[in-house]
Amino acid sequence: MIHPTQIQDMLQAALETGGDFAEVFVEDRTNGQLGMTGGVVDTALSGRDFGIGIRIMKEHFSVYAYTSDMSEQSLIRLAKSAAKAIRGGGAPGTHTITLHPHAIPNQHPIAIIPDGSQKRAKIDMMRRAHEAASQYDPSITQTSVGISNSIQNVLIANSNGLLVEDTRTYTRMRISAIATDGEHRQSGFRGPGAYAGTEFLENLNIEGNARHAARIASTMVKAGYAPSGRLPVVIENGFGGVLFHEACGHGLESTAVAHGTSVFANKIGQQVASPLVTAIDDGTIPNAWGSLNIDDEGAPTQRNVLIENGILKGYLVDRMGSRQMGVPATGSGRRQSYKFAPASRMNNTFIANGESTREEIIANTEYGIYAKSLGGGSVNTSTSEFNFAVEEAYMIRNGKIAEPVKGATLIGKGIETLQNIDMVGNNLDHGQGMCGSVSGSLPVNCGQPTIRVSEMTVGGRKGE
Amino acid sequence: MNIQQFQEALFAKGREMGYADMEIYYVNGRSTSVKVLKGEIDQYTIVENGGLSFRGVINGKMGYASTEKLEPDVIDFLLEEARSNADILESEEQDELFVGSESYPKQPAYASTLVDTAPEILIEAALEMERTALAADPRIVMARHCSVSVRENEVLIVNTKGLHCHRHKSLATAYVYVIAADHGETVTGGWHDYSLRSVEEIDIADVAHKAVQEAVSKLGAHTIQSDNYPVIFRHDAAAQLLAAYTSVFSAESVDKGFSRLAGKLGQKVASEHITLIDDPLMENVPAGSTFDAEGSATRRNEIIKAGELRTYFHNRKTARKAGVQSTSHASKGSYNGKIGVSYHNLYVAPGTCTLEEMIRKTDRGLMIVELQGLHAGTNTASGNFSLACLGYWIEQGQVVRAVNQITVSGNFFDVLQQVEEVGNDLRFTGSCTSPSLKLAALSISGS
Repeated sequence: MIHPTQIQDMLQAALETGGDFAEVFVEDRTNGQLGMTGGVVDTALSGRDFGIGIRIMKEHFSVYAYTSDMSEQSLIRLAKSAAKAIRGGGAPGTHTITLHPHAIPNQHPIAIIPDGSQKRAKIDMMRRAHEAASQYDPSITQTSVGISNSIQNVLIANSNGLLVEDTRTYTRMRISAIATDGEHRQSGFRGPGAYAGTEFLENLNIEGNARHAARIASTMVKAGYAPSGRLPVVIENGFGGVLFHEACGHGLESTAVAHGTSVFANKIGQQVASPLVTAIDDGTIPNAWGSLNIDDEGAPTQRNVLIENGILKGYLVDRMGSRQMGVPATGSGRRQSYKFAPASRMNNTFIANGESTREEIIANTEYGIYAKSLGGGSVNTSTSEFNFAVEEAYMIRNGKIAEPVKGATLIGKGIETLQNIDMVGNNLDHGQGMCGSVSGSLPVNCGQPTIRVSEMTVGGRKGE
Repeated sequence: MNIQQFQEALFAKGREMGYADMEIYYVNGRSTSVKVLKGEIDQYTIVENGGLSFRGVINGKMGYASTEKLEPDVIDFLLEEARSNADILESEEQDELFVGSESYPKQPAYASTLVDTAPEILIEAALEMERTALAADPRIVMARHCSVSVRENEVLIVNTKGLHCHRHKSLATAYVYVIAADHGETVTGGWHDYSLRSVEEIDIADVAHKAVQEAVSKLGAHTIQSDNYPVIFRHDAAAQLLAAYTSVFSAESVDKGFSRLAGKLGQKVASEHITLIDDPLMENVPAGSTFDAEGSATRRNEIIKAGELRTYFHNRKTARKAGVQSTSHASKGSYNGKIGVSYHNLYVAPGTCTLEEMIRKTDRGLMIVELQGLHAGTNTASGNFSLACLGYWIEQGQVVRAVNQITVSGNFFDVLQQVEEVGNDLRFTGSCTSPSLKLAALSISGS
């Protein structure tokens, strides 16, 4: 992508004013996107993103600069103008940087590399999704289906001599269905994805996913409103793990922890969750949506145990967090693209299996909410107040799943909610989402077995 | 290669390949931002970045492709990909390139000195903002985010039908977000302001004081009982709610069956107090624009007038299909997207009531100042929302205390109908704004 001597020159120029570390991130990315509304192909886009970011550190201060102008003069000019922002002097120009290229083992085999020749086949797949969703129920009045793929080539080099390259291949299918019942409309969504090529789509149960989206829309359009107030909540496995992602995961990122502003700061070794909860962030799961061989600072990803039997064991730490906190980095430095400086972020975060079955959990719940499919959510890591939306919910009455209810939003505070998890299932599964934060929007897995929270605030509408 | 050389080489090669008409949409920006923490520079970011979207008509269909690299070796990629993308499109309604409007309004939006602001000025402004915030109240424990930035941005659209549109804008912004703590309770609050002309024009101390006020006033919060209460959406929360539902006014959403406003033109869709305007020609607002993404000259449009739906947002394609004039609402979500439909500078026209009067006239109710999780808790198809929020409890016309751990739920279309009062506190801070709005009742979940 760019010649190593050019990178060496940039890194050298970056450290001229006393910085103690410099890093270059080069990205060449090809994106493809196809879309179909109501069975008609209406979107076909291709793009090539290309650019370079340079970061300079001096102690706890960092400068970041990026450009897509890759001419040699421009790159050196960029490095020098970034270096100018390093204040306080130091020992300029004493560094001799020698880059040592090293190959990294690929943990994520790709069988069919996405390319333009597959467009027709992908349209056939989208049409299958459209057919399955629209035939699911007469209430389905519209569908929207998309397939996106990207191939991101990265080169990461730094003043410690690191020089690595990697290729990340992503494939995702999005299926939305809209159900209409007179004045009411509801939508349902499924978005399976993987760090994989087109083989992911070939092996995907497209009709099953389409029917799932249609089921959510058609069930919810006939549903009454969820009740309000404090109730037990059973959260289904898979993407239900977004509960942990919002309630706790963001609060464990060094970006939040390093300055002591997270409620999880200074709590290593303490009981922060129910003893039933073991939570892990694992960037190494083969071909998982949130996996990587190396993070965006060039460090190998790891399996990081965050909470074990309710005890806080560790944080997610990037290179700057490592400096600020004085602990080793955990392979968690991520960024959407060269347009963002890396930050500590999650990869595939999940709650580990417990011992209950889903059936036991529901049978043990007298009255509450069964949150079957979750939408997204958000959190304020300083206060740990989080929220997320339930796409598909049902009442539980006398230990049985009863009528569907719509409009249930769940809110709470991180540690309180984790402490209130009183049953954990044995059916761990993962769902895929996009996580937005300081370093952009990133693919992440959220996973969990079925769990029960003994009490949560459910935001429905008053008067059941 | 510079943009002109690239465009000429691209069009020349495109003609050889059989493209009938072609267009480039080019965006280029520069920015510098400084973020401070605990009296030190925490992050300093310098950006020089651009991207180009190509679209062209080949074999009677329009194909799209984009790139951030402007070098000869991507020309084939753009032309080949756009051709194969055009080939698979099935939509009957085709985009077409535009020759341009007869004339374009003028709008001063660029100050060359702004982007060349000396780094020391940015740094000093950010440090002063942090100092002011920390000194303003002993309960402020940290300015979690404190930044000042300047940026410029240019857009160029050129096509083979003769269109040539160019705009250049600049903007300075100051943003601070603080953490306040008292008796083991932690709260946050932020504020920001902008200038199109210079950093010095921003009242840094005022931004700091407002952020501090936002944070400390949330201390002492607890939940309230689940019930239906009169609700005031303060201007910022009202703008958040409106922004989450703007797609319902898009002719594209209406046409595709995603919007409940289909078939409602000329009907009363909101309370008589609501007039919704998109005015890209207003001066000194961050979201001004003299042409849209297709190169149509922009104008002021009334979307809702005194409650009656007057028009949807149209681009040339949706307008042709509906048999009306484009309202110059062609958009590109990002330079690399396809042409869609969106607003420029959308706002609810202000009323005469101050926020203080609205509070004074509320016997028992809630003022909501912040909505959370809008990306997930709002449903544009149904209009339903159920959102975590923060606010203040009002009794006998006075704010009594802060409220947290509650959700508000309702339906956007009902909210529009039920607005009883519109504030006079409209403040242009982004591309979608609203004054404070008061409603008779909404469902609140708490304890």
